[in-house]
Amino acid sequence: MNNKALRQRQDNFVRGVIYTLGSIGALVLATIIWYVVSNGIGLVSLDLIMGDSRTFNTDVYVETAPGNYPLEGYTGELELFYSERWGLGFVDTFNRAGNEAVEIGYVHPDSPFNQSLDKNGFDEFGNHLVIEVRPGFTIEKGFTDTAIFLGRNGAEQIATIVNQANVIDEISIQSRGDGIRGSLITTLYLIGMTLLIAIPIGVSTAIYFNEIAKRNRFTNTIRTMVDLLTGVPSIIYGLLGAALFIPLLNNTIQTAGGSVISGALTLAVILLPTIIKSTEEALKVISNDLRQGSLALGASKTQTIFKVVVPSAVPGILTGVLLGVGRIIGESAALIYATGAAIKDEIILTERSTSLAVHIWTVMQGEKPNFELASAIAIIILGVVFVMNFVIKLLAKRLSKAMY
Amino acid sequence: MISIRDVVTKENIKRKNTIDGVTQAIFMASAILSASFIVLIIVFIAFKGLSPFLLNYEGYNFQQGTVDLDPVNPISFLTGSQWLGGTLGLSSDYGIGFAIINTLIVVFLAIMLSVPVSVFTALFIAKVAPKRLANVMRTVVELLASIPSIIYGVFGLGIITQFVVFVAGFFDYQTAAGLSLLSTVIVLSIMILPTITAVSETSIRSVDKTIIDGSLALGASDIQTYMKVVLTAAKSGIFAGIILGVGRALGEATAVALVSGNLFAGIQLNPLGTTATLTSRMLLGIKDTTGIDYDIRFSIGLVLMAVIVITNLSLNFVMKRLGGIHEQ
Repeated sequence: MNNKALRQRQDNFVRGVIYTLGSIGALVLATIIWYVVSNGIGLVSLDLIMGDSRTFNTDVYVETAPGNYPLEGYTGELELFYSERWGLGFVDTFNRAGNEAVEIGYVHPDSPFNQSLDKNGFDEFGNHLVIEVRPGFTIEKGFTDTAIFLGRNGAEQIATIVNQANVIDEISIQSRGDGIRGSLITTLYLIGMTLLIAIPIGVSTAIYFNEIAKRNRFTNTIRTMVDLLTGVPSIIYGLLGAALFIPLLNNTIQTAGGSVISGALTLAVILLPTIIKSTEEALKVISNDLRQGSLALGASKTQTIFKVVVPSAVPGILTGVLLGVGRIIGESAALIYATGAAIKDEIILTERSTSLAVHIWTVMQGEKPNFELASAIAIIILGVVFVMNFVIKLLAKRLSKAMY
Repeated sequence: MISIRDVVTKENIKRKNTIDGVTQAIFMASAILSASFIVLIIVFIAFKGLSPFLLNYEGYNFQQGTVDLDPVNPISFLTGSQWLGGTLGLSSDYGIGFAIINTLIVVFLAIMLSVPVSVFTALFIAKVAPKRLANVMRTVVELLASIPSIIYGVFGLGIITQFVVFVAGFFDYQTAAGLSLLSTVIVLSIMILPTITAVSETSIRSVDKTIIDGSLALGASDIQTYMKVVLTAAKSGIFAGIILGVGRALGEATAVALVSGNLFAGIQLNPLGTTATLTSRMLLGIKDTTGIDYDIRFSIGLVLMAVIVITNLSLNFVMKRLGGIHEQ
């Protein structure tokens, strides 16, 4: 009896340990999600996704006379101080460094500030560049025909001064910046180009292994070589991109250093093992009856592969593709070498750029890492990756239910 | 009427065979291309990574202008306890020995921390937990596996380093803002947790049911059976998971680089001090994409590959020995 109680106590202790250690994973996942969301959710907006990454400072003015632009449809949360004569609203807020600042809170759709002129920027004909003043721009200072104002005057006073003005000589603005449009577009380019390269090669390789190759030493050797790719860390792939693809592209299509294309080529190599593996898994479960039926009907081997085998393997290929997309979105180490880590706003395929993940890497560097922006991008990446995970699971369920 | 003889002609058969031959050749070419990348990786990284040991690079410095640098000495590179002796651009005295040791220390500690948690999580999912809870935990592990390394880096820098600062506060110890060996080990152990858990879970679930029933029939409780019979029977699978985890930990780059603190010299045994791994040395401080300071990173890449291969081979050797004992 005593023994039994002792054993029970021991068992319960061990059970407790198992439950505790077993729940650590869930705890960690919850902490990561909580951290990323609580830090980044404030930044996630259309502005972030569509905005430029760079801030620019400049002075703008308008040549038109004041008009009457009644406030309509302001939905912001902050109190807006509005100048009806110029169609411009100001809000008191804090900038990213945490200091008080006055921002543009609203611009009337017909306001002349939608087409204000840049005092310092000129196009090739010597005309002033047109700048669209948008909500979120910070006001540094300005002067009108009647008064001068500074950012620290506060939104209310600035709005009054602006409203009294008949001519606006100059407003110094700073655009918001820290947008991720460039990196988002690069990521989409990378996904498209990488899949375009990796799918044909990967699927053909899987077909070769499963449908064509004879069991001999040659096949075994190349299969082992492909399998070895799985264990290669991504930073090593990055070195491959830097040592092979970048010089190759520099010498053929005259790129200068890393480019989106060299990144895509590198990522394609990274994806190959994944795509080959999942395609092969799908090919393996296709019943031989189907192949033999097709051959017996007089179809050639080529026809059988393209019209019978490949269509049946589509869910498996899709799984590989989705896994690959997740990998592309999250890949950082390889791309730091293969495409560089310079954030760009205008994407040119033959030039350096950053994907979303490398964007995080770049803003986390230096003395003051930008946790808010990094977390906001992380929310987007995690969202995509988790949804992808869910879809893959769904596909797998479908796949196992499908009849072959 | 079309007679079958009109269709099945010698020419048609010949054409069909040609087409089959061509497509098969294309498939084979793809397979050879896929297989060739492992060779290309080794050849091209070796090509670039060996040149610092063979060539005289041109260095540059504001004071002295262009200077000629001696080739890096491979022995002192492999055994050096300092990343760069001398000024950047004026010296080719690179060393990586300390980072090799630090990498092994970091990975060893991360495995030590991760294995108990992973194995018990696997046991929890496979045997102990009710089915619903097990499914939830399985999804949790899958999601953890799908989180990209850079996000673990953000998490590490945002939370783990703060935790380390907090811990260091108890010992009145000033850390480099929490960038430390301890943070690196914690981040890495979290990152390899899903790998080890997934492999261990598969092997725990595939333990022969008759062994379990036998143990239960002999009067062992279910927990005793899990701990003494199931885990022992799943030993080789768990070990395979550990080997995979070690591989992943050795090659992990961005997250480690963000929290390691970028140590420049010396072996770090103090958990609260900064450290440097091979990968963090490769990633941090890239200033230019030419010159010796860039190319030396390919040499580190070669060393990293060698370390991975050697570790893998020795662990596999150990596993075979362990397996052998088990079978006797």
